[in-house]
Amino acid sequence: MSRIEVKSEITGTVWQLQAQPGDRVESGDTLIVIESMKMEIPVITEDGGVVKEILVKEKDPVSEGQVVAILED
Amino acid sequence: MSWKAEIEELHQRRKLAAACGGPEAVARHHKSGKLTVRERIDTLLDARSFREVGKLAGKGSYDKDGNLVKFEPAPYVMGLGRIDGRPIAIGGEDYTIRAGTGFGSDRRKGGQGGFIEDLAYEYRIPLINLVEGTGGTVNTAKRKGYTVVPGYGQDGFERSVDLMGIVPVVSAVMGTTAGGPSARALLCHWSIMIRGQSQIFAAGPPVVERAFGKKLTKEELGGAKISADTAGTIDNVAENEEDCFHQIRRFLSYMPQNVWELPPPGSCDDPADRCEDALADIIPRSNRQPYNMRKLVEMVVDRSSMFEIQPGFGRAVITCLARMGGHVAGVIANNPMFGGIMDYKAARKQAHFIELCDMFNIPLIFFADIPGFMVGQESEANAILREGVRARYVGLQVTVPVFTVIVRKCYGMAGGGVIDRRGLNFKIAWPSAEWGSLPLEGGVKAAYRREIESAPDPAQREKEIENELRQLASPFRTAEAFAIEDIIDPRETRPYLCQFIDALQGRLKTQPGPKFKGGVRP
Repeated sequence: MSRIEVKSEITGTVWQLQAQPGDRVESGDTLIVIESMKMEIPVITEDGGVVKEILVKEKDPVSEGQVVAILED
Repeated sequence: MSWKAEIEELHQRRKLAAACGGPEAVARHHKSGKLTVRERIDTLLDARSFREVGKLAGKGSYDKDGNLVKFEPAPYVMGLGRIDGRPIAIGGEDYTIRAGTGFGSDRRKGGQGGFIEDLAYEYRIPLINLVEGTGGTVNTAKRKGYTVVPGYGQDGFERSVDLMGIVPVVSAVMGTTAGGPSARALLCHWSIMIRGQSQIFAAGPPVVERAFGKKLTKEELGGAKISADTAGTIDNVAENEEDCFHQIRRFLSYMPQNVWELPPPGSCDDPADRCEDALADIIPRSNRQPYNMRKLVEMVVDRSSMFEIQPGFGRAVITCLARMGGHVAGVIANNPMFGGIMDYKAARKQAHFIELCDMFNIPLIFFADIPGFMVGQESEANAILREGVRARYVGLQVTVPVFTVIVRKCYGMAGGGVIDRRGLNFKIAWPSAEWGSLPLEGGVKAAYRREIESAPDPAQREKEIENELRQLASPFRTAEAFAIEDIIDPRETRPYLCQFIDALQGRLKTQPGPKFKGGVRP
C-alpha cells in the first residue's frame, strides 16, 4: 500500500472540502476547493485511492505546494 | 576495379562504426529499455532518409604493419535527414561508447559547437539534438597535460546561440544528462524528455551528495517531475521513445525551416465556418467557477491540431501550437482550473511562448479569462512583478499580429498583456466577458470608503454602489463605445478567427528574417 500526497498547486484559502477520510476517489476527482483571488480552484487528485487524511479545514490558508490530503492505494 | 581493396576497407570501417559500442554494450543499452542513437535516428526520420556524416571518425588501433585491428567509433552520430520531406540536421551521443562522453580534444564531431550545428546554421535547416551524455571528465586534464577554461576553443556555445535566432532547434533528453550536454539541451526552442528514462541536472547525485550530504536518486533530482513539471527546464514529457519521436515530428510540423520562411500550411478538412453549440454555455454563470479551457480551445481550432507546449508547467496558462483553417497559430489561453491567475510560472511560460511564435512568424490568439497577477507575499517573493511585467514587455515587442478573444475576465496589469497594443489592438469578446482595472468585488470598498462609511447604512450603500457599477460593467456598453471591437456569439468564434487569420497571411510574408529586439528586458 503506498502513500500518496495531494498538494495544492495554488496559494489561497480552503473554501470547501469535497472528500472525507475513508472515501474512495478516482484520478481526476476533486478533493478540496481552494479559493484564491475570488476564484474557486479545485484540488484534483492524479491518482485513485482511499482518502486517509484531509490535512486542512475550511478557511485554512494554504500555500502553493502544500500537502492538503493523503491517499492510500 | 583498381580501388577494390580501399572500397572494401571503407565498407568494413562503416560496419565497425555501425556496431556502436559493440554487441555487449548495445545489449545492455537495450536491456534498459532504450534504443541506440542509430536506431533512434532511423525511427525518428522519414524512412531511409538519413545520410550520415563522419561515420569514419573514431579511434583506430593498428598493428605494426599498419593494419586496422581495433576501432572505437566517435561517441556521436550525426547527419542529414528528412522529416515530412523537409531536410533536418540531426545528431546524438552514442551512450554505448563511454557513456557518450567527449571525443578526444576535437569537438567538431560532437553536438556542442560541432559540424552538425554549423550544418544547420549554414543551410538554414532545423536541428535536432538527441542528448544523452554527461559532459566533460577530469580525465581531459590527464590527456592534455593542463586544465582548460570553460568555453575553451571550439567547445563554446556560440553557434548554439546563433541558431536560436535563425532555425528551429529541438532537444530531446534521451537518458541522463549533466554538465555541458544539459546546458546544450536548454539551448533550443523546444525540448522534451521521457518520463522515467530521462533525467537532466547541472550535476548528478554523487556531486550533490558530496556538496550537501543528501542522497537523492537521479529521478528525484532531475526526473520529469522536477525538470518539466516543477521547473519548466524541459518543455514536454513523453511516455516512451516512440511518443518522444512522434512529438518531435509534431512540433516541427508547425515550424518553418528558418526565420525567412513562413510555417508550412497544412491541409484542412475541418470547415472554417464550423460553429460549436457547446461554446454557447461552456462558461458558468458564476464568475468564480472553473470550466475546461482546453475543451474550449479544441472546439475552436482545426480538429486535432492542438499541440500543447509545457503542459505540466505554469498550468494557470495553456500555451499551444494549433492550426486555423490550415494556418499555424499560437494559442495562449488562461486556465480557469487554476483560476486563470497569472503567477510567476505562468508569466514565464507566456513570455517564452510569445517569443517562440514571434521568432517563427506565427500569429497569436489569446483566449482571455484572467483575474490578474497572483497577489500575496509568496507571489511577490517569487518576483511576480518582474516576471509579469517581462511577459508584457515581450508581448509589446512582437511583430506578428495578435488576436484577442475575451471569454470572461480581463483585469489589471495581467489583463493588459493579452492585447495587441502594438498592432491593430483587435479584441473581441463573448457576452460572458467582464473587464476593468480590478474586479468590482472588493474594489468598491476601496474606491468609495468615505462615502460608504458616512452613509446611515454603510452595508446598504456599498451594495447600491456595487449595483450601479455592475450595470455599467455590461460588455455591451463597452461595445457601444467601440472600446471593444466586437461582441460575438461564442459559436461564431471559429469562423470569425479563421477569416482574420487567413487574411493576415500576406502580412506575415512582408517580415521575414531574424528579429532584432532592442532594450533590456525588465
